[in-house]
Amino acid sequence: MRAIKGVLLTCDSAVKQILLTMNEKDPFVIEDLDDYHLVIKADEEYRVRRELEAELEKNTYSLEAN
Amino acid sequence: MPVQSLQNTDVILPQHTPHPLLPFLQSQSQNTLTRLYQRPSSCLSIFRLLGPIERQLIMNLLWLESAIPAATMSAWVMPEGKQAYDEALAVMAGLHIAPNSTVKLALNLTFKSSLRQAITGGGNTGSFGTPADKDYKRQSANIENLDAYALERWETILHYMVSSGQGQNPAKPSQGVLYLLQRSGLMNTAHGAILQITSSGFQFLLHSPHDQLWNLLLQYLHMAEERQMDLVEVLSFLFMLSTMDLGREYSTEPLSETQKAMLEDLRDYGLVWQRKVGSHSILLRWVPSINVLYYLQASSKRFSPTRLATTLTSSSPPLPSSHSTGGSRAADATGTVALSSGAAQQGFIVLETNYRIYAYTDNPLQTAVLNLFITMKYRFPNLVVGMLTRESVRKALSNGISADQIISYLTTHAHPQMRKNNPLLPVTVQDQIRLWELERNRLKSAEGYLYKDFASQADYEYVLAYAKQLDVVLWESAIKRCFFGTLEGHSNVRGFIERRTGAA
Repeated sequence: MRAIKGVLLTCDSAVKQILLTMNEKDPFVIEDLDDYHLVIKADEEYRVRRELEAELEKNTYSLEAN
Repeated sequence: MPVQSLQNTDVILPQHTPHPLLPFLQSQSQNTLTRLYQRPSSCLSIFRLLGPIERQLIMNLLWLESAIPAATMSAWVMPEGKQAYDEALAVMAGLHIAPNSTVKLALNLTFKSSLRQAITGGGNTGSFGTPADKDYKRQSANIENLDAYALERWETILHYMVSSGQGQNPAKPSQGVLYLLQRSGLMNTAHGAILQITSSGFQFLLHSPHDQLWNLLLQYLHMAEERQMDLVEVLSFLFMLSTMDLGREYSTEPLSETQKAMLEDLRDYGLVWQRKVGSHSILLRWVPSINVLYYLQASSKRFSPTRLATTLTSSSPPLPSSHSTGGSRAADATGTVALSSGAAQQGFIVLETNYRIYAYTDNPLQTAVLNLFITMKYRFPNLVVGMLTRESVRKALSNGISADQIISYLTTHAHPQMRKNNPLLPVTVQDQIRLWELERNRLKSAEGYLYKDFASQADYEYVLAYAKQLDVVLWESAIKRCFFGTLEGHSNVRGFIERRTGAA
């Protein structure tokens, strides 16, 4: 039996795919649980959130930018 | 809408909205309350804060010389009113107005004699304040000036809150007010040394002025406890103010030291007005609790309560016209008294399905509040045009403002023209604001431990059952034979596993 410290992320499957792509570049995922859950390293959470935010922003159409 | 209708329904349904001061009073000792009840003005004020059933019961008992059997009173109560009646009795018992007894019903003796005195007059306790002698040399402050003063003070506080951290430099309220805002959690200094509005601060801005005022005063009362001020003095002074006449001057002579000190604070909040004696007589006062040296101008021996103070325990609006809609402030002041009940409550915001907002206002405070969550497009003397955009709403959300707060603000201040619409706000816009909020929460995270590689299925189920008992399981999978538990539960689960392996 093992116990691993980490952070459980709950998200929709689209976000999970983005996270997995990010993981290839710079690994942080400890365990891929199922379609909606991932366990990642605790000290990486802030960075992951920030990068995900930037990634999601790319897909947003902004009125003000025009 | 709910904020608005509160004042109107206050008379009909107060049991649903007990006054915020009552829980505070109930938390005080019987000794404190009895001392408070020695003052007729306090009794009258508390009487006015109570709900209609409590008031009815008190009036029934007030002129009885001896206690009556509780059965006599409850015989008047219809079966369906039993619950309301019991609740009313519980409130009165909590305030020590009528001691809790199943046999006899009677009012607290002190409360009874003081309230009688308040109604019939007489006595020389001076608890309603002592009017100052007429000063023929100087004109006393008229009601218009008092209203303008109260409004200016109050809006300075709110405006300072709303524009904090936006690079603007609005007029700063006094140190005492700043400290109070910080203490009440409405503002904090999270980002560096600058005071910034918090999520609860924004909610505060959405309340009616009456609630805002009591909110701050309650905080003031808590602070007074820490500053070792006598609560009875503080409370009775607030109640005294609330029973005073607007536009009359009162003498500071009969006030206690505590109450004179309070005058200075209340002046900052706009509750009382005092004439400054002269700029040459500046006093220094050290306030130990705040560690601040106050520069105080010596004040005259008289003070006038403003509308903020005199409406503390009544249902009349506390501010003459906090929502001035067009026209200059000077022109406003003359018409305020007549308009105070109607126009002050009217909304000014038109929201269209294309996310455009037209706000008919010239009030910098309202413009600043709107600026928290809309992108400004144009400004005219009496009209502000802006748009709800993804960026503006996200900015608000990241400041801790919730989508529901934005929607409720827009609803409360909707222009009368908007009230024809059903639903009031365009559904598309409401939904989009909520969607923008959801968008920010696509990722939920929880720290904890992943338990895996169990030796056998039975082992796994045994530990899982224990963890479930503790309610610490966030995710589980029987196929993968692993589960995720919270950080708090880890030491218990680990202890459980160690005991098991130790025993085996």
